[in-house]
Amino acid sequence: MILLEPHNFIIHTTLHEKILKPSSLDVQFVDFDGVRFHITTPERKTVILLSMHIKCWDELVRYGALEVLQREYGALLLPQPEAEYNVSLQIDLEQVPGDAESREAFVMSTALFKRNALAAPFESAFRTQKQLEASGGQGELMEIHYRDEEAIYVQAANDRVTVIFSTVFKEETDRIFGKVFLQEFVDARRLPTIQNAPQVLYSARDPPLEIRHLPDLRQSEDIGYVTFVLFPRHFQAPATASATISHIQLFRDYLHYHIKCSKAYMHSRMRHRVAEFQKVLNRAKTEVVASEKKTVSGRTLVSR
Amino acid sequence: MSTTCSQRQTPTRHLGAKRANTLKAERRPSIMSNVLRPYLAAVRSTLTAALTLENFSSQVVERHNKPEIEAGGSKEVLLNPLIISRNENERVLIEPSVNSIRLSIKIKQADEIERILCHKFTRFMMQRAENFIVLRRKPVQGYDISFLITNTHSETMLKHKIVDFIIQFMEEVDKEISEMKLSLNARARTVAESYLTAFNA
Repeated sequence: MILLEPHNFIIHTTLHEKILKPSSLDVQFVDFDGVRFHITTPERKTVILLSMHIKCWDELVRYGALEVLQREYGALLLPQPEAEYNVSLQIDLEQVPGDAESREAFVMSTALFKRNALAAPFESAFRTQKQLEASGGQGELMEIHYRDEEAIYVQAANDRVTVIFSTVFKEETDRIFGKVFLQEFVDARRLPTIQNAPQVLYSARDPPLEIRHLPDLRQSEDIGYVTFVLFPRHFQAPATASATISHIQLFRDYLHYHIKCSKAYMHSRMRHRVAEFQKVLNRAKTEVVASEKKTVSGRTLVSR
Repeated sequence: MSTTCSQRQTPTRHLGAKRANTLKAERRPSIMSNVLRPYLAAVRSTLTAALTLENFSSQVVERHNKPEIEAGGSKEVLLNPLIISRNENERVLIEPSVNSIRLSIKIKQADEIERILCHKFTRFMMQRAENFIVLRRKPVQGYDISFLITNTHSETMLKHKIVDFIIQFMEEVDKEISEMKLSLNARARTVAESYLTAFNA
């Protein structure tokens, strides 16, 4: 599995199970970027309440998350979210469409809850770009502080949308591995097959010009900035736009996931190599001949 | 016809064992570059020469028997340390004494990635030092990994096999680090390509 999936696997499977066989339920779980979920059946077995907590909810609301969710979920969206959570959906299992295909589509759209909430700033940037095409100029710089020290910045211009990720590498090894990976992202576009992919820029320490004026940027060795330049061909058609949004949201998780994977691989490799060295050294040991020792009376001497 | 054949075969059969040995010896240097060979040969002969250890009780503390190279209590039992350098980044320090030898290796580290991989690898080994009887838990300052061979080791283990082990370690550690680096780069490339290709879909 190289690419990560945009939907939440737990929501997906739980809903499928409960549609077939409703039962009472109270589960809390998490997704990437510290997003918390809570699934309960507060009143009846057939009515499921799905709540979500996102760190940057206030910012998302400012960029139109509620409208996006309203569009996606309509009447399912509760006006008053559950306590301690930002947003809640109420799903009546008896109203779920009957045939398999539309049921799958319904469950999948619910599993994309987090993706849809985070999609708002991107959609708004895509709309702004269309408006700016004629007039020129630049749209508002949208900041989404989706993790403690990391943020996504989205800005529309007349011919493109710029998405900037700031990412923190906690360890020295991560930082160096991350550098290798990001360098490859920059270089990979030279291949003819992916010339159409968005342009990727990467800077290790200094923030890119677009966000340099922001006051809350920390400058240190362990921060990296990755800039994606999305051109209209990445978001002109609605289907492409939604695929692009799902894909780009997961960039940070994707990068860190693969850094961890390669660390794990290195570790298993070292384990193997060290075992080989051990064998070589064991060859140096002289064998101790284990002969059976007997007393005069013929009994065997056993060492404990 | 058959007689000539059998006559020809006889000497080969005699040489059988010997030939297998020379083949093995020949195959190994062929993998190495020409520069590495004299370096390893120098380490091998120096180490073999230095491995003349005997039991030696401490002259300072009664009824103590310590590796003199580590204790350093009496200067007269320490022999001249020797550095074999392949270049400024790769060298071996051999410090002999009457009852112990300390051998320290500085492994080649061309860039940041190799530095981190080398550090990880040597750390991994040194954490398992009790399995590698001759391995020291900490390297000598300025080196990446150190071995300590005492007279007990040279008595309980085959001397030439210990030397073989150290030479093989030196040979393979470079190879392993560069292979890990290559695999990291290959993975990074695949990851980047598959992420960016997905934008086309």
